[in-house]
Amino acid sequence: MIIKAQHAMLSAWFKSMTSLGFLVLLQACTTTTIDEFRQGATGITSEDSVVILGRRQGAAYETRAQFVECVGERMARGSNAINVIPEQQFVDAMFPWFEPRTAPLRSEDLQALMAQPMVTEIMSGFGVRYIVWLDGQTETTSRMGSISCAVGPGGGGCFGFGSWEDDSSFEARVWDVSSATAVGTISADATGQSYMPAVFVPIPLIARVEANACSSLADQLKQFVQGG
Amino acid sequence: MSNCTVTGKRAAATTDVTMMKCCFQLGDLRRALLSLLILLCLASCAARTVNVQGSYPRPNIPAIPLVLGVYYGEGLSDFVYTELSDRGEEEYLVSSGDTHEVLFNTVLPAMFERVVVLDSLEEAAARGVDAVFVPRINEFQLGMPQKTRLDSYEVWVRYNMRLTGADGSYIADWVMTAYGKATASSFNTAERGINDAAVAALRDLASNFSLGFTGVPDVRDWLQRRLSQ
Repeated sequence: MIIKAQHAMLSAWFKSMTSLGFLVLLQACTTTTIDEFRQGATGITSEDSVVILGRRQGAAYETRAQFVECVGERMARGSNAINVIPEQQFVDAMFPWFEPRTAPLRSEDLQALMAQPMVTEIMSGFGVRYIVWLDGQTETTSRMGSISCAVGPGGGGCFGFGSWEDDSSFEARVWDVSSATAVGTISADATGQSYMPAVFVPIPLIARVEANACSSLADQLKQFVQGG
Repeated sequence: MSNCTVTGKRAAATTDVTMMKCCFQLGDLRRALLSLLILLCLASCAARTVNVQGSYPRPNIPAIPLVLGVYYGEGLSDFVYTELSDRGEEEYLVSSGDTHEVLFNTVLPAMFERVVVLDSLEEAAARGVDAVFVPRINEFQLGMPQKTRLDSYEVWVRYNMRLTGADGSYIADWVMTAYGKATASSFNTAERGINDAAVAALRDLASNFSLGFTGVPDVRDWLQRRLSQ
């Protein structure tokens, strides 16, 4: 009888914890908003390539290389995959024209840059049709709660609850290398609340905010450069 | 009884010897542990050396049709920056002389038709160079995450660049700055973070130097005179 009662209690506790887990899991989702502003016609052939570069001129923050890589990888796979040149390979080959202090900031600067015969030659070698400038960052705000952990001779465990909000805001400016003009801007804003309940062990329920911003932005960019 | 006493003394003597051996062994162990502790303390107290190492791309710019001599003298080849801890003790020694030579040996041959590395300034005239370039580090600053409370290692360098004729006559003398940073969370060790921030700063110098060289007023005037001859 005692064993049955303990089993029933454990089962009820497990069910309630599972329900709580699912409840929190539902809460730990991300909201992503994509905005597109088109300035000119686009289109790409199988011989053309796209290079995605991160803006790193600002003192306050710089676009993470991992995010740039994520967008590039996503655009280069799946149906209608696009040739994407790795950022570092392109920046090294174009040295010193695309360094943080020397990179063109406006499409008019690209026109001046394309007047350099060596630059034009390297661009043609890569088959670059579009340059995509990524600018943005992910910030963590609204940290709340606390988790306490203790270890004793009989074992250890944690108890508590923590939560925080991640906010990703990225902008992609697309330049057409053939005409040296800006053809559009796509912005991606993603927010998500992450939770960390701890009952003996911490259970991280992380909102994949930056990953969602990356995939949404990459999918939209892919359609954009293909003229869709 | 006497036998018993003797036996007892022998037994005691045997125990003393064992105790002495044991004490001797314990003493050895204690000394070894103490030595190890001192060594560990010395190792942790000693300043860590960072020999900056990196590779730099060759600039894609049109070469100036002149022969340049370059002299890596005092203030560049032997430059070592010492980062002090909050207690005023030497914490890191950042040696960047070799990597600066690698940088200039990559950048200058792309900027000039021919580059001659000089062992001394006196041999410039004999080597038939049009001008002599002497770079020098004036100031080096290091930003450590634990001190700046930022998530990055930062390096800031101020240079004095000097260009003279083969005879040592003045052509130009100007100041340049370079800045580089590396995200702290990407590195397991501070040495790696310092190295990458320094390499980023040197890359910044290379881009700015190669594109801005002909824009330095005194250099521009000299080039106009020289190339029109």
